[in-house]
Amino acid sequence: MPQLIVSPDAYDVIIVGSGAGGGMAAYVLANAGAKCLMLEAGSWFDAARDSKWLEWGYGAPHRGAPTPEHPLGYFSATVGGWEIEGEPYTSASGNDWMWFRSRMLGGRTNAWGRISLRNGPYDFKPYSRDGKGFDWPISYDDLAPYYDKVEELIGVFGSHEGLENCPDGKFLPPPGPRCYELLIQKACGKLGIPCVPSRLAILTRPLNGRPPCHYVAQCSRCCRLSSNFSSPAVLLVPAQATGNLEIRCDAMVREVLVGPDGRASGVSYIDKKTRQEVQVHGKVIVLAASACETARLLLNSRSRQFPKGLANSSGMVGKYVMDTVMSDVKGLLPSLMDLPPHNEDGVGGMHLYMPWWNYEKQSRHELPFSRGYHIEFGGGRRGVPEPGLLSGSQRFLGGGYGLGLKQGCRKLYGSFLDFHGRGEMIPNDESYCEIDSGVVDQWGIPVLKFHFKWGEDEIRMARHMQETFQEIVRAAGGEVVQSAGPEERWGISRGGECIHEVGGVRMGNDRRTSALNPYCQAWDCKNLFVADGAPFVSNADKNPTLTILALAWRTSEYIADKVRKQNI
Amino acid sequence: MEPKKLLSRGAHLPRREILRLMTAIPAGALFSAARSTTATPKELAAELISPEVAASYQPKIFNPHEWKTVHTLSGLIIPADERSESATAAGVPEFIDDWLDLQRGDLLATIRGGLAWLDIECNRLFGTDFIASTAGQQEQILDRIAYPKNAAPEDTSVVAFFNHFRDLVVSGFFTSATGIKDLPYLGNEPQSDWQGCPAPVLAKLGLLAERTKS
Repeated sequence: MPQLIVSPDAYDVIIVGSGAGGGMAAYVLANAGAKCLMLEAGSWFDAARDSKWLEWGYGAPHRGAPTPEHPLGYFSATVGGWEIEGEPYTSASGNDWMWFRSRMLGGRTNAWGRISLRNGPYDFKPYSRDGKGFDWPISYDDLAPYYDKVEELIGVFGSHEGLENCPDGKFLPPPGPRCYELLIQKACGKLGIPCVPSRLAILTRPLNGRPPCHYVAQCSRCCRLSSNFSSPAVLLVPAQATGNLEIRCDAMVREVLVGPDGRASGVSYIDKKTRQEVQVHGKVIVLAASACETARLLLNSRSRQFPKGLANSSGMVGKYVMDTVMSDVKGLLPSLMDLPPHNEDGVGGMHLYMPWWNYEKQSRHELPFSRGYHIEFGGGRRGVPEPGLLSGSQRFLGGGYGLGLKQGCRKLYGSFLDFHGRGEMIPNDESYCEIDSGVVDQWGIPVLKFHFKWGEDEIRMARHMQETFQEIVRAAGGEVVQSAGPEERWGISRGGECIHEVGGVRMGNDRRTSALNPYCQAWDCKNLFVADGAPFVSNADKNPTLTILALAWRTSEYIADKVRKQNI
Repeated sequence: MEPKKLLSRGAHLPRREILRLMTAIPAGALFSAARSTTATPKELAAELISPEVAASYQPKIFNPHEWKTVHTLSGLIIPADERSESATAAGVPEFIDDWLDLQRGDLLATIRGGLAWLDIECNRLFGTDFIASTAGQQEQILDRIAYPKNAAPEDTSVVAFFNHFRDLVVSGFFTSATGIKDLPYLGNEPQSDWQGCPAPVLAKLGLLAERTKS
């Protein structure tokens, strides 16, 4: 067999990656009539067949608990994780970074939390507001029409609140709150913290032929009936129906190929099943491999014309990688004990959440950190009981065994709540990735080396999370049972742990300080675009997926328009 | 080669067809259909773990004597009552064996060491091992290590063992088919609509007035 196969077909567009960004690019461009080839490094996944929907834990290996093969548990739709055999990455000494990769059709959209929050006007111009980080080259108004279109296509429930910097959207009606959520809403009312319907990409009404939710709290298993958003169900099914999309899985792209004219001519990938290199050619290349994987691909695409890697004349590729600040508190609420039995599953996520409420205080410099966070919370009787349930019961029951213990456990069940902060990280010079020239993966591709540091703003934010969540627990009449103090840096997460890594190939107005122009088009290479989280200039507390979808739609429309006018 | 097509899932399906699909889910989901009947917990558990299967389980971690001790101890920690059967009958020993096989390390050493201590202590005090001791003797031993605040300092490591073992029994029991019914966890049942927090719960939480006002 030859070592190199050159695919005879030429495509209008080659899309690398099939998650939120790649899926949206395929949806828009295939519908615009472009012949698209999608390359996915992972395996085929079709939730209609592969989801573990409605299965019980006692029928599953280890009752569904996490294992090295299933780091998020047996039921999560995720294929992949923070460690993938044969695909390592390295960290600079003293730098703590976890890099999560989904290796499956649809990427992380199969298992994600479905939290769909728009970035607000402040979130695009953070430097102008507080002098830290950088401004985006676009504003909220540039993206607002795309947020509208995305929400109408994928279906997002929510409510109209008119809150500062938390723009309302085109919402489906939200599901009513769970019992424990009402209790917390009341406590938040006493503290002046808004607690409003959450905004999740889950259908509460039929939409575009998809049935509404059936309320079994299992979105992370991916929905068999496509009642929540995933790229395969909502974007790739209609894109395939146009006849313009070809999907190849197990295709690990190693390099973007560049012609003598300096334009991208195609990509080279390893067919994981045969270990052969394949070259495919296309007129436009869209990278949506996930933020750091896209940076890696560009840095590995070295040529005579681009010795520092493609799209990297600014030296910005790999720079300003960001994650989300997390910190958790757990509480025990006696008022939730001995409640009449009821089904608290609901949708696969929270029905209420707390958006950031301190913009005014921050503009008056009354808080010791500059950016915001929102609060997600869960617990109660939600979800199939998992191993670890009621662990450490001796703390609350004094120990024991026998009928007293059995009765005590019944009483405790459903009375624990956990609070999770999701906060904005300000990009810093010490958080970036580069090629580790000493290490290759099993496909022969040089791997990434990560550098990562939280800044002082982030640590102070984690402290504020701890203090606020403990206040909420107490205001609800509860007892804090798990928290973090200064010796644990207020429980701040490890870099990459939130799986919200963005940045690394940022967009900008100036080709000297950014890799991409305001349409996510490479300054150095006109027919090369980035459609995942890599173009992000900042990482607001709002979970990135909705913004990735809106930005990818805008970028894809721009590509379709330029191709139509033969401008690329 | 025919290009691979994604299934379009629930698209364009009538509600009736969706409900049919819901009941056509394999494996553990069969239980969810059976759960609406009037079967007792014992009968329900029997559907999942038939006696032949339970009897044929080969422990991966424990030797035959430890295996018997784990059965006895699980039953003492969560015994049967009018609401449900014991942890032993609910398959907790099998859960613990499998769990320790997965975790290994310190936890496994703690558990085996603790089981050995039970025998050593019973032999010292009563001249027989733990499972052969009388119910009263077993209680005497457990009462020493099951209440952390009252325990003697020299029993600290055994108290830690018992905390771990209790956690395994509790978690194994309440994630079993029997335990889920016992709690009761009423979810994992597809709903045609979401009803929100039911009135009796609102009333107990003192939120009924506020909810009906709004």
